[in-house]
Amino acid sequence: MKPQVLFIIFLIVLTSLCDTITQILLKSSINRIGVSFPGKLREILRFIFRLILIPRLWIGFLFSVLSLCIWLFVLSRADLNFAFSVDSMHYIFIALASWIFLKERVGARRWLGTALIVAGIVLVSLS
Amino acid sequence: MTAKRVTVKILLLLVLSDVLETFTHFCFKKAAVLAQDFSLQGLAEVAPFFRGVFSSPFLWLGLFSVLTVFIIWSTILSRIDLSVAVPIASFSYILVPVVSIAFLHERISLLRWSGIIFILLGVIFVSWSTKEEGQAHL
Repeated sequence: MKPQVLFIIFLIVLTSLCDTITQILLKSSINRIGVSFPGKLREILRFIFRLILIPRLWIGFLFSVLSLCIWLFVLSRADLNFAFSVDSMHYIFIALASWIFLKERVGARRWLGTALIVAGIVLVSLS
Repeated sequence: MTAKRVTVKILLLLVLSDVLETFTHFCFKKAAVLAQDFSLQGLAEVAPFFRGVFSSPFLWLGLFSVLTVFIIWSTILSRIDLSVAVPIASFSYILVPVVSIAFLHERISLLRWSGIIFILLGVIFVSWSTKEEGQAHL
């Protein structure tokens, strides 16, 4: 039972990493377009069209497909709550990756919040 | 660069994206549960498992939902930072347990609930700090 749970947690961390890569590639693609908040439907569609022409977005898409495959396997084995709660690990990965790759500012308060999230994850895993 | 202020419109889009994402997870779980006849002991059973999953209408409903979430999420990210948008998307931590209880009949212990509250508190803290830093940055 125990090693199986560890294996499931490992798989969920793997999907979190894949999701983080997807998000970073998506956000950096959007930053390249530089359009701020398309309001009308036509603007949104034009924005999405410009977005899908950026190659790195498709690399991100591949990672999200990989994530989906692992995720489907995980969900066949684990409770939705358990899986989704451990998946919240991606908050830490996102904060780290945004800080390192997107040069977003991550202060002390945000790291404290991240620590609270980790504590929550541990509590959920114990239950 | 992009503005960091979170408007009501963005908040509503985030909630909509979260509701759809919750719906996505629900659909995927349904598709996976329906394909669970396969015991998944060896590598040879992975292919029939995915064949079972992909023949489920829930999976396709989920994939359509993913596409919609992508469009909404990209629109949100065109306005605010990634490290702002992701923590605010914590609404799922309330929605997912509620959906699990109501439709999947899963049980959630008190310990697990407290963990979920911890996660939520942390997420609120993170968004709060991001907002303040964003304003100082401006």
